[in-house]
Amino acid sequence: MAELTDIPSDFIRAELDEFVEREDERAELIDFYAAVAPHLLEISASIISGRNHDADRLTLEALAGGTPALEVMDGGLIAGMALVGIKFRENFIFVPEVLACARAMKAGMVHIDPILSASGIEPLARVIMGTVKGDLHDIGKNLCIMLLRGAGFEVIDLGVDISADDFIGAVEEHSASLVGMSALLTTTMPNMGHTIEAFIDADLRDDVKIMVGGAPVTPEFAEEMGADAYGDNAVECVEVAKRLAGVGR
Amino acid sequence: MTSRGRVMAALAGSAVDRTPVCNPTSVATVELMDLVDANFPDANRDGEKMARLAATSYTELGFDSVMPVFTIIQESSALGCEIQWEAKDNWPTVRMARPIWQTAEDVRMPSDFLLHPDITCVLDAIRRLRREFGDEVAIIGKTMGPWTLGYHVFGVEPFLLMSIDDPGHTKLCLERMKEITIAFGQAQIDAGADALTVPDHATGDLVSGEYYREFLRDLHTELVDEIPIPLILHICGRTVDRMDYIAETGLAAFHYDSKNDPAESMAIVTDRIALIGNINNPQTLFARGPEDVAGEVIRNLEAGVPLVGPECAIPLQTAIENLKEIPLAVQRWHADQARKGPVRADDQ
Ligand code: B12
Repeated sequence: MAELTDIPSDFIRAELDEFVEREDERAELIDFYAAVAPHLLEISASIISGRNHDADRLTLEALAGGTPALEVMDGGLIAGMALVGIKFRENFIFVPEVLACARAMKAGMVHIDPILSASGIEPLARVIMGTVKGDLHDIGKNLCIMLLRGAGFEVIDLGVDISADDFIGAVEEHSASLVGMSALLTTTMPNMGHTIEAFIDADLRDDVKIMVGGAPVTPEFAEEMGADAYGDNAVECVEVAKRLAGVGR
Repeated sequence: MTSRGRVMAALAGSAVDRTPVCNPTSVATVELMDLVDANFPDANRDGEKMARLAATSYTELGFDSVMPVFTIIQESSALGCEIQWEAKDNWPTVRMARPIWQTAEDVRMPSDFLLHPDITCVLDAIRRLRREFGDEVAIIGKTMGPWTLGYHVFGVEPFLLMSIDDPGHTKLCLERMKEITIAFGQAQIDAGADALTVPDHATGDLVSGEYYREFLRDLHTELVDEIPIPLILHICGRTVDRMDYIAETGLAAFHYDSKNDPAESMAIVTDRIALIGNINNPQTLFARGPEDVAGEVIRNLEAGVPLVGPECAIPLQTAIENLKEIPLAVQRWHADQARKGPVRADDQ
């Protein structure tokens, strides 16, 4: 097991010390960051502080210096977003800050994506995400998407006000194995259940795993509707997606 | 005391005969729509139906106020945002993925803003309610605050990113949008509104308490200076971390959410601002029965919250029985208190 002092970045050490309180997460992250090269931790740092121009420049430099794209993504970009998710969950940072971090991650991913797809490297899984019919709340869903992408998933974002037919159409079109539905209104929450029923009617229910979330949704409600999993926040959404897709870090 | 007298006194921090029941956001439900044959979406666009549905909170539920503006998008529609009006069983919204403005230079109130049908229907509804009820019941209008208008016209994510990238420019946008808040508010005053709700969703679910202080505290104080009737700020979600700032603005009232404890909230704001709330919508009013509703009413009364009501726009499928329980529970509690007699110092 690594120690905090093994992490070759003052910035990351200070962030971990200040913001990560859960022992299990702390130990896991220390082990992880201790094994990452200093120049990649600089990329993480740029993401955690929401500096998109730096993330862009540092990613290009790392690639030009010969670091493999997958390593830049894992050790730099994904590593950064992991800490961002935890800081948000614990209310150390809020939505505007997370948006800035996600923008920085995107600035780096722009350079990684084409290399990965050219070399045929598969994402963890392909996920369809959307807010259900009648509901236009999308902030929480978008944060989930950012962290899912940050964790190595390919996400197709259908947007808001998505009907059962659109969810089904997207699963078929993209051969996705995971569906995530978000709802913030009690008036629209039942549409999650209707969508699940539509998957059954279309004979597709066994082909996909379905996860649900959003402020009024509860684990009980999720189970009642026949969803495979419920996630309380964006960090949990990633954990749930990994579990459903059968992949671990 | 009349219902109106009670609400206005509580908003002014004066004595009342009993705690008024008030929802300054929306009390429309599908059952109420059926009862008076005034359905969404028409009741959001036609002044006569709007007034008819709004009146039910006084005539059917026994609340002390009426609120004809069920949505938060009337002015966004008049500004040119694309609106999805929805059907009877859902609220309308702005399609925020297609924002109409990008910078402060774009912020402009159309010259015929107050003549737009989605604005005039509100003014018409307020006039009708005033004619029908005179001084009996408090008529509360609603004018959106610049922060929420910002979500609608710039899109939520671009607006929040702007607030990080260029706080100065964001403040300029807010300053300009404030004029829209004032114009619609003033028109409702002219039509006969007694007080105005100003929803401005700088909630702890989205932004920090310091954000409220930096971007909105002074702006809300300016609204108080420029609008001559009591203003009720509405922010849902967690807000205890910013209640101290909110109490400094001079706003008459703050409509607060059940994510905040009544006693803790009262301890922060003291008598600087009147709290209104905070009966939980999705778990209690929507999903439980009258007994649980009464429990939350009493928690507020015991904490000394001066106006009691649901935390936010109530779910459209809420049972009337649960809503009627709010004024009943308030009356029972006051009767109990009266029976117990005034608390003497040596009782404690
Ligand atoms: C911001 C907001 C808005 C914004 C939305 C902007 C946008 N583009 O999304 C605006 C101001 C436009 C708005 C409009 C309305 N709103 Co609103 N809004 C909110 C508010 C304050 C915060 C929601 C939010 O973004 N939270 C922050 C995010 C990060 O949290 P989150 O969404 O819960 O997501 C997290 C988790 O739930 C989870 N998660 C989310 N999705 C998923 C999906 C999966 C698969 C998983 C695993 C996890 C997951 O992870 C996320 C990140 O951690 C809430 C209050 C509240 N306390 O929730 C009310 C609230 C949701 N709104 C409410 C209402 C009533 C409305 C309106 C009807 C108001 C009106 N009268 O018109 C309209 C809705 C119209 C419509 N048809 O959609 C009510 C809903 C009541 C109910 N239960 O029915 C709430 C609860 C307020 C209240 N206290 O009553 N709203």
